Amino acid sequence: MTQDVEMKEVAAPSNSTSSAVPSTLQHLKEIAALIETGAYAREVRRIVRVVRLTIALRRKLKASVVSAFLGYALAAGSEAHSRLVSYLPREDEHDMEVDTASSVAQPPVKHSLPELEIYCYLLVLIFLIDQKKFSEAKACSSASIARLRTLNRRTVDVLASRLYFYYSYSYEMTGDLAEIRGTIQLEYTDAKESLLQAARKAPAAARGFRVQCNKWAIIVRLLLGEIPERTVFMQKGMKKALVPYFELTNAVRVGDLELFRVVAEKFASTFSSDGTHNLIVRLRHNVIRTGLRNISISYSRISLADVAQKLRLDSENPVADAESIVAKAIRDGAIDATIDHANGWMVSKETGDVYSTNEPQFAFNSRIAFCLNMHNEAVRALRFPPNSHKKEKESAEKRRERQQQEQELAKHIAEEDDDEF
Amino acid sequence: MDAKLTEVAQLFERFKAASMRNDFDSATNLLSQLKVLLTEFKSLPPLFEESPNAIQELTIARDIYEHAVVLSVKTEDQDAFERDFFQLKPYYTDTGSRLPPSPQEYPILGLNLLRLLVQNRIAEFHTELELLSSSALENPCIKHAVELEQSFMEGAYNRVLSARRTVPHETYVYFMDLLAKTVRDEIAGCSEKAYDYLSINDARQMLMFSTDKELYEYISEDHPEWEVKNGSVFFQKVKESAPSKEIPSLQLINQTLSYARELERIV
Repeated sequence: MTQDVEMKEVAAPSNSTSSAVPSTLQHLKEIAALIETGAYAREVRRIVRVVRLTIALRRKLKASVVSAFLGYALAAGSEAHSRLVSYLPREDEHDMEVDTASSVAQPPVKHSLPELEIYCYLLVLIFLIDQKKFSEAKACSSASIARLRTLNRRTVDVLASRLYFYYSYSYEMTGDLAEIRGTIQLEYTDAKESLLQAARKAPAAARGFRVQCNKWAIIVRLLLGEIPERTVFMQKGMKKALVPYFELTNAVRVGDLELFRVVAEKFASTFSSDGTHNLIVRLRHNVIRTGLRNISISYSRISLADVAQKLRLDSENPVADAESIVAKAIRDGAIDATIDHANGWMVSKETGDVYSTNEPQFAFNSRIAFCLNMHNEAVRALRFPPNSHKKEKESAEKRRERQQQEQELAKHIAEEDDDEF
Repeated sequence: MDAKLTEVAQLFERFKAASMRNDFDSATNLLSQLKVLLTEFKSLPPLFEESPNAIQELTIARDIYEHAVVLSVKTEDQDAFERDFFQLKPYYTDTGSRLPPSPQEYPILGLNLLRLLVQNRIAEFHTELELLSSSALENPCIKHAVELEQSFMEGAYNRVLSARRTVPHETYVYFMDLLAKTVRDEIAGCSEKAYDYLSINDARQMLMFSTDKELYEYISEDHPEWEVKNGSVFFQKVKESAPSKEIPSLQLINQTLSYARELERIV
């Protein structure tokens, strides 16, 4: 492929003003126009089209074309322009002339559109990756991500998603993936929130992604000591994929170590291909906890030997194991009980009234926060059809009609409210 | 073999000899000299430059750091262990395609896991674990550490202690002894919550002391709030937080205000 490019490059100067170069550049300019309209109209769909068109063009990209486009799209001497040009391989003199000529011919419009700037990053990045210049690609992608962090525009998001993809890819190709991937830090609560958000926001078509999200979310919730609802496993289209996780959840819910072991073994290959195997090993501890909690609720007094038997602890000294496990569970607040060492039994305390504590308030607070957050996210994701306000102006009559209807409805609701009080 | 490599190899032999006869002072000395010499090899991490002797240099450097880790265990220096281990790690992660795997790799990775466990750095422990392949997890050295962590989390402390007898490598003993101390503190912490009282005898056995005197010393040093009377140890129960007497007003006000603000935005 490189050979191919070189050949074209050699050929380019002779007929630089004719066919190949201008047509690609022309395409790129059209794309730029599309970005502008998309950005002004807040039309995410147009930006999606931009990405598609660019991918179609990527085989035709050449250093001269890319740098000509940069000259067209970005103000010369701007920070982004000088930085992006520095990533491109040096041109021979003739190409440079073409370059300047084109930018003189079309004096750069003062584009300060962030969408266009980000698009330039994307274009250069794709070009660098196709040229297998991975270390430059790495530098370019890092710079683009740094720039992205300062932006918050929905129309940039589409481009950003591609940038993140290539960012990860270029680091992977240079073997530095670990640098940019965060590490697992036992932050289960954060993990759960992010996973649920991701699963909810993912488009319906991305079923594989949603299934994966759900699998992780289930494990994380189990690790947090929650039991996911049955509906999670019954979601359309992922019932089959979630079966191993359903059985796993069941084992944790019952608190049966033996069942847990059987399930973990039965689906061992699924779990290790899902990358959840290590997390499931961590779950063992939760299974014991649940089992213990069930025991402590059911019995007011039970011998440690029976506890060991019920938990199916198989070791040399199950009673001593059970004793220290129970002691730790008490210390961690998982169960409310005391141990009588001399008699070798565990005495559960009366369960207190949970409504006399602050627990319910905490629970309500976290639920309210969740709902408010969901509302805010929904508002942010709203998309308004362009020019809808104009239409409204035209049909003033209709509007009056609608307002009247609304007033009636409001009155109706107010009356209903009155009734309630 | 060029001169530098020969020098390093000779010094390394002297270092190994000193380390073998437990002459720690001269071993540590030789090791710092070796580390300085290694900085002159450009084929080593982080540069990984190609050189004709790259393979030999990488191999000997890996060998040196492996011995350095073992030495730090012998001298019971955990900070040195951490330093040496991190210097060694790139050789395991980044030279896989060029060097044959080291027979010491898994014992040392297992040792590191054990160290994280002893220092109660559980998050890092799991991070390291995620980086290992599934075949590595089957290795007895790694498996040992993983099972220890499980027993530790469950609270099956006597399983942790009995694991000392089944150590896969003699260097593990040092960390296992440290772990025993951690376990004792854990048991003490659990006991004071789980029992009202324990007989002196039981307490001594549970906390793994051979004489009553040691037990008394431990109590007076680490848990002065425990009371010894009538041949038993009484634990002072920390008051439970169950029923809330006070209304957390400030928190409530903050929450309510934030709801109001959010609702305002909606309406």
